[in-house]
Amino acid sequence: MSALPQPQPATPALQAVDLATAHRIQQFLYREARLLDSEAWSDWLALMTDDIHYWMPAIENRRRADKLGAYAIGRGAYFDDNHFDLSRRVARFKQPSAWAEDPPTRHVHVISNIEAYAGEADGEFIVHSVFVNYRSRGEADNDLLLGRREDVLRAGGEDFRIARRKIVITQSLLMSKNLNTFF
Amino acid sequence: MTHECSGNCERLRKDPASAPLRDLDRLLDLDTGRLSRRVYWDQRIYEQELEKIFARSWLFLAHESQIPKAGDYVTTYMAEDNVIVVRQKDGSIRAFLNTCPHRGNKLNFTDAGNARSFVCNYHGWSFGIDGALRGMAGQELFEASGMDRAEHGLHPVAKVASYKGLVFGNMDPDAPSLEEFLGDFRYYLDVMLDMDGEGTEFVGGCVKSVINCNWKVPVENFIGDIYHALWTHDSAARAMLGGPVAEVYKDPDSYHVNFNGHGWEFNLDIVGNAATLGDKEIRKYLYGIQPKVAERLGEFRSKMIGSISSVSVFPNLSFLPGQNTFRVWHPRGPGKIELHTWTIVNKSAPQDIKDRWLKGTMLTFSPSGVFEMDDGENFEFSTRTNAGFVTRQQDLYMGLGRDTRLADSELPGNVYRNQVNEANHRAFYQRWLDLMQARGWEEVPVRDKPSLPESAFANDSLKEVA
Repeated sequence: MSALPQPQPATPALQAVDLATAHRIQQFLYREARLLDSEAWSDWLALMTDDIHYWMPAIENRRRADKLGAYAIGRGAYFDDNHFDLSRRVARFKQPSAWAEDPPTRHVHVISNIEAYAGEADGEFIVHSVFVNYRSRGEADNDLLLGRREDVLRAGGEDFRIARRKIVITQSLLMSKNLNTFF
Repeated sequence: MTHECSGNCERLRKDPASAPLRDLDRLLDLDTGRLSRRVYWDQRIYEQELEKIFARSWLFLAHESQIPKAGDYVTTYMAEDNVIVVRQKDGSIRAFLNTCPHRGNKLNFTDAGNARSFVCNYHGWSFGIDGALRGMAGQELFEASGMDRAEHGLHPVAKVASYKGLVFGNMDPDAPSLEEFLGDFRYYLDVMLDMDGEGTEFVGGCVKSVINCNWKVPVENFIGDIYHALWTHDSAARAMLGGPVAEVYKDPDSYHVNFNGHGWEFNLDIVGNAATLGDKEIRKYLYGIQPKVAERLGEFRSKMIGSISSVSVFPNLSFLPGQNTFRVWHPRGPGKIELHTWTIVNKSAPQDIKDRWLKGTMLTFSPSGVFEMDDGENFEFSTRTNAGFVTRQQDLYMGLGRDTRLADSELPGNVYRNQVNEANHRAFYQRWLDLMQARGWEEVPVRDKPSLPESAFANDSLKEVA
């Protein structure tokens, strides 16, 4: 896959959601971002469906003609998680002995460029968005990451759950010592 | 038309070896376990390391499985020198500086791929996968200027050789062979590389990240520091295992071993490292193959295949048996590294097991890994504190396990009781000091005498590829 955002295939035409639904989806993503900013890890995890696939591939520099592309399932990945894997990451964050989180890291997630379309199944939505993930630790550790997300959201009552999330960052050489954050 | 230079030629006017820094031996006292913090911070020491450690040691380049076919290549680094490692038509592997000898531009901008030639973006000079200059625009003008194309190929890495799938390069044509460099440490390397005669492979590609630390800090961490795991990794262990890290310092059957500055700390619990991946299928796999490994490598080594352990190969290659993370810490100045990490598996393992390992390695030991998260923080601040002029004049303690040498051990190399130890750290710094004080390999003292015959490593799979 190319690291560039893929234009949507012509057929079947993606159907944009109505204004009210778009607004609810936007509010949902903003609330999710705020949960992460406030270290509400368990509340955040509760937004994932049981069959979540949370995937953030590592990016390789390959020539355009190289069919292997910049990333693919089964290659390097920062996250290739199911619900259980995510719960383990959350469990580490919550340990009093997670030394690299004490004093706490300060996170800001900026979510933008939201596009929402009807998904393949009833009550599912395909949602594209762009994020800015900024972290500050201690005196002078500041890490900036930007990327695109492609989510599948599932409606549940008035709210949504995240069933798929693909996260594609711009960096191939990650300019940070770690990723003590979610996207 | 191949450019046959092997390290010194008209086009590479190598500086004569510079004089070693004076008073290097005052930086450390290996008998008492004293180490100066200046080794992590001093720019002059770093410049000497580039020349005296990295430009004359065997450095890890690639795994053969990454470049199976002719023209397959990866780009990587030998310290700060960017190189292309490429499979030749005759199946051998060669490596070249990744730079065009015309105006010095970077030649190849990808991480990996397959090529029939390498063409420079600047003026279109074209090189074969054998490094030879094939042609360029306006070739007749260069010929009219008296240029001989045969002299202007890519500069080759002086020596390339592999040991059981691992390809190494050495910039020094006068360096000892890879076999000699690894020496008896191959006895231990075979635990990872030769469990069943089928060899290993990398799966899932390379993950690259930057850590603002001196390159020796993580090498020390992997060469022998299980001690940190009990404290640093408490949170990750509780998340992955549901409890704290095993109290390894109470294990009577655990060791530090080293040879030529390479070191391995381990116990014999078979699956202690693998357990941290939190995947019982991987533990089942290891327990399943252990009797077979015992037939091949003996009972003792078969208990090391996934045990609580960690390894560094001098100078900057590290891996963890069981967790199967495999990595090189490329230096980028005294206070920065570029970390390249892969997942290594037995070629013969079922696909499902390989997939589980790739996933488990990423979940534990990668920039997003629950274990590595706390390491990066320690590595960076063990380096950065030394910015303080007075701070870096306070010596560090590296004397743990000073009286634990097992003089009558039947194991090869230098053997120490108890894996909670700093014997391997001291051996690493002895090697570091020996190289830093030598103008050439002939001045490097031979401290570790090999005790095993070449046949002990199933010689047929060890071959010079260049």
